[in-house]
Amino acid sequence: MSDTKYLETHEWYIVSENTFTVGISDFAQGELGDIVFVTLPEVGQEFSKGDAIVEVEATKTVAEAYAPMDCVITEVNSNLETEPELINNDPVGDGWMVKAEIKEMDDSGMSYQEYESFIS
Amino acid sequence: MSDIKKTSLHDFHKSKNAKMIDFAGWSMPFSYDGTLKEHNYVRDSAGYFDVSHMGRLRLSYSQIEEINYLICSELKNIENTKALYSIFTSEQGTAIDDVIFWKFEDDLILICNASNTNKIKSHLDINSITYEDLTSTTDLIAIQGKNAINIIDQIMTIPNKFSTFKENNYIYARTGYTGEDGVEVMIDTKDTMDFINMLETKGVKPCGLGSRDTLRLEASLPLYGFELTDDISPVEAGLKWTITNENDYLGKQIIDEQISSKQHKHLKRFKLNAKQIARTGTICVSDGVEGVVTSGNISPILGYPIGYVLFKSNPADDLVEFDIRGNLVEGNLIYKRFLN
Repeated sequence: MSDTKYLETHEWYIVSENTFTVGISDFAQGELGDIVFVTLPEVGQEFSKGDAIVEVEATKTVAEAYAPMDCVITEVNSNLETEPELINNDPVGDGWMVKAEIKEMDDSGMSYQEYESFIS
Repeated sequence: MSDIKKTSLHDFHKSKNAKMIDFAGWSMPFSYDGTLKEHNYVRDSAGYFDVSHMGRLRLSYSQIEEINYLICSELKNIENTKALYSIFTSEQGTAIDDVIFWKFEDDLILICNASNTNKIKSHLDINSITYEDLTSTTDLIAIQGKNAINIIDQIMTIPNKFSTFKENNYIYARTGYTGEDGVEVMIDTKDTMDFINMLETKGVKPCGLGSRDTLRLEASLPLYGFELTDDISPVEAGLKWTITNENDYLGKQIIDEQISSKQHKHLKRFKLNAKQIARTGTICVSDGVEGVVTSGNISPILGYPIGYVLFKSNPADDLVEFDIRGNLVEGNLIYKRFLN
């Protein structure tokens, strides 16, 4: 398994062989405030890099999480349907959003250190 | 921006790790523990809000006749111990601001929205009404919640609902903006920290503007700039109950015409059976009548999205279709308050 990488649009992802797991960063959840609804994609849905895959409704605003690379959804975190606050409480752990099969590998995300300086 | 205004509690908010936002030219706490938690502090127990950004003007009682001409409610003929919610109306009958008056025997305290303080001051100037601006020398702290009165009772005399009181260094009224019981207290800036420490000792939790907004929306209370604007009259905003002024007042003719003709914009409450929030600016249609959402958020207590929508005319149907970022989402108009 590779390191956790971050995107400028505040997603994190971890590549494991030909799949990845994606969610939003701790910084992003903090900016959004309390997350109250999450709209997840369907398993089997295809996305290109940069497509919106998850919609996050928070008390403060609405946001989207984008696909880090071309992919097909293989699993969604259905716990988020009833406990969207998992994203606030554990954004890079239990608050993961979807797993997907990689159609075209693009591991160009930032390291945590790079992301930290990006947001500061 | 270097000229952003700060309340006397600014450093205290920062020490509490509050998330700060710029609101109407003021740096204000948005949340401390999170909007939903703070929402529940108020619904379940008690919270306090620094609302010192709101304008506070002292007016001499002798000008009451002139002030009464500028608002749609009867201020002159109510008791001298009352707090009155009212609206400054323009010549066109629209809302210049919605405000609270604290009526005392010798003076009146006018509390206006932070975004409208300068507008209200100019409006008073034009109408030759003099005032003392207390905004920078005092703070305004709202203590709200199910247990707020029990707690405040240990600190000060509790007036009747919508009534005012002066005691020690506190000038206050039993009013609020959350749908819960409580008081709003004006206090000299030098005394504010002692008061906050007293509240903290009694377990009252700090709450930010985020929960203030979810609480007021859930309590079916309008917010100026959204449900009320320079282009919306009290009749259109569903605030006909505020129109109690028995004398002539600015905009009366147009407001009376709207009441009798019913030909005007209509502000309605709605709920959605969906996971999307119809936020400010969302377009919708009901019965062929177009509307725009003025405020929308989740109701933490009800668990579904709610909001206000302004229709061009009164729709005959209660079904509404919202266009939320390209998806059509159905909702219903609500004729009662969101919370009973």
